[in-house]
Amino acid sequence: MLVALLLLAVVLGTGLGSVTIAPGEVLGALWCGLSRPLTGAELAGNDVIVWQIRLPRVMMGVLVGASLSVCGGAFQGVFRNPLADPYLLGVASGSALGATVAIVAGWPRALIPVTALLMALAAVAITLALAREGRRFPPTRLILAGVVVGSVLSAATTALILRGEDRARQVLAYTLGDLGFSGWHDVLTVLPYATLGCGALLLLARALDTLQLGDLTARSLGVPVERLRLIVVLAASVATAGAVAYVGVIGFVGLIVPHMVRLAFGAGHRTLLPLSALLGGSLLVFADLLARTTPLSQVGIVTTLLGGPFFLWLLRRERGA
Amino acid sequence: MKALLTLSISVMTLAAAGAAGATSYPLTLTDDLGRTVTLRAEPQRIVSLLPSDTETLCAIGACSKLVGVDDYSDYPQQVTKLPKVGGLYDPKIEAIVALRPDLVLVSKYGKLEGPLSQAGITVIAVNPETYEEVFTKTLTLGRIVGRETQAKNLVTQMRRDIARVEILTKNAVRKPTAYLEIDPTPYSVGPNSFMGVLLTKAGARNIIPASMGDFPKVDPEFIVKANPQLILGVDRKTAAARPGWSTLAAVKSGQTLDLPGDLGQLLSRPGPRLPQALLGLAKIVHPELFK
Repeated sequence: MLVALLLLAVVLGTGLGSVTIAPGEVLGALWCGLSRPLTGAELAGNDVIVWQIRLPRVMMGVLVGASLSVCGGAFQGVFRNPLADPYLLGVASGSALGATVAIVAGWPRALIPVTALLMALAAVAITLALAREGRRFPPTRLILAGVVVGSVLSAATTALILRGEDRARQVLAYTLGDLGFSGWHDVLTVLPYATLGCGALLLLARALDTLQLGDLTARSLGVPVERLRLIVVLAASVATAGAVAYVGVIGFVGLIVPHMVRLAFGAGHRTLLPLSALLGGSLLVFADLLARTTPLSQVGIVTTLLGGPFFLWLLRRERGA
Repeated sequence: MKALLTLSISVMTLAAAGAAGATSYPLTLTDDLGRTVTLRAEPQRIVSLLPSDTETLCAIGACSKLVGVDDYSDYPQQVTKLPKVGGLYDPKIEAIVALRPDLVLVSKYGKLEGPLSQAGITVIAVNPETYEEVFTKTLTLGRIVGRETQAKNLVTQMRRDIARVEILTKNAVRKPTAYLEIDPTPYSVGPNSFMGVLLTKAGARNIIPASMGDFPKVDPEFIVKANPQLILGVDRKTAAARPGWSTLAAVKSGQTLDLPGDLGQLLSRPGPRLPQALLGLAKIVHPELFK
């Protein structure tokens, strides 16, 4: 069912936009783009819009939505905390700071995900160092340290935005999350980060299930709890840095999508993580479609405006049940 | 260009030589924040927090009344020596008060009006935004500082200089469709914004319709659909690297360029150098008319 939803999202996301293009023409454009390497023909007009602007934008939405949702699901599992998401541990704030540095300094676009990843890893390293208690990383300490590191990094980002006033709007748009100007090249740059990060998390799903029984039980069942936490955090940092690098900070997807999946399909990580990827990808494409056809204008604004109330509704429903 | 400069210099000299205008004080007016303000006497110590207001004051012969300006006021040369009192969002309120101004000119977007009024300083918000407002606010500033005649002369001169360029571009054989980018997110300008008016007067056809607003965030696919013949504000390399843009007419023909720094700054200042901004823009849109 979720596969169908994702397909629907991709079809609608490619077919609709601020420029109206007939469905037949969309198909023609897709064929044109696909056959291009064979014919060497140059795209023109609406073919360009569909093939070089909409489709990569939709694909970027799928990648980013899936990455953030899988990371959110994994974080919630590994820290057994329903509020955990890629922003926990300062991962997203670190990526955002790294990307902001690159944007304000006017560095080449290709460097953005690299600085984002470096800062994300630095942020995680600081968080882990702060939270460490002997050889253990107790969840409460981790989350507290993450909140503090995240806040400090966000403040640094804001300071940079205010200093680099010429690019202020560019950076502001970035911190609100935006899929505009995502091209095939960007999609291909983000793809390895998403594949590597999410792939590792999917492989760890069974271990994450065991962890739900508690650290002690998991350890007695042979799960190396501390190492598992570390690997999950690293894998999630890679995927989040890739997602945040080009499209910025997109709120709420990583937090709410795993909850939606859990409510509808249960909490086992072997179903939760892949289904979160499907639902997260679909939701972000739909949100971006709303963003580019309404005055809400940026996908991060849409996800936060729709995601916040929806999350509260979920909470109430859960309590009432 | 040279003629224009001489003209504007002579206007400034005229203004400086002229006696104080016919404003009678106390003067009561409604400012851009919708407040009613009364000036008891001609202000003598003015702090300006908007570069365009600073330029206008100097152009109407009231430069010597300025005792402080915001960080971005850098024209004419003599204001660069004045104390800087911060920007719109990070003004140094204490520094402003310490300058003992009898008038502070602010934007309606800052939050300075409250604290400064409480410190007993007269605050007036004057910030021109549309094309026509550039002229009406010039006259307002003229009234405020007792330089009404000079302000009227300046407005006449500006309109004359603008008309001179417009006459040339109006009869241009071909008017290229153009996309002017003011921010790479991307933001552009609608035809009713003052920059949009200048773009049209420079002899281009703006691809942004008025319905999208004055400074809209544009969906990239809209720009590709409109396929402009001229792209301003993006250099060719950046433009060609954007998804789908290599097929645009402007990119193919090389008609895409970043605005030179000084022109970009001129374009962003709704003040007395509007005619210069228009001339610079017109030379880019229609180089053949200015040989």
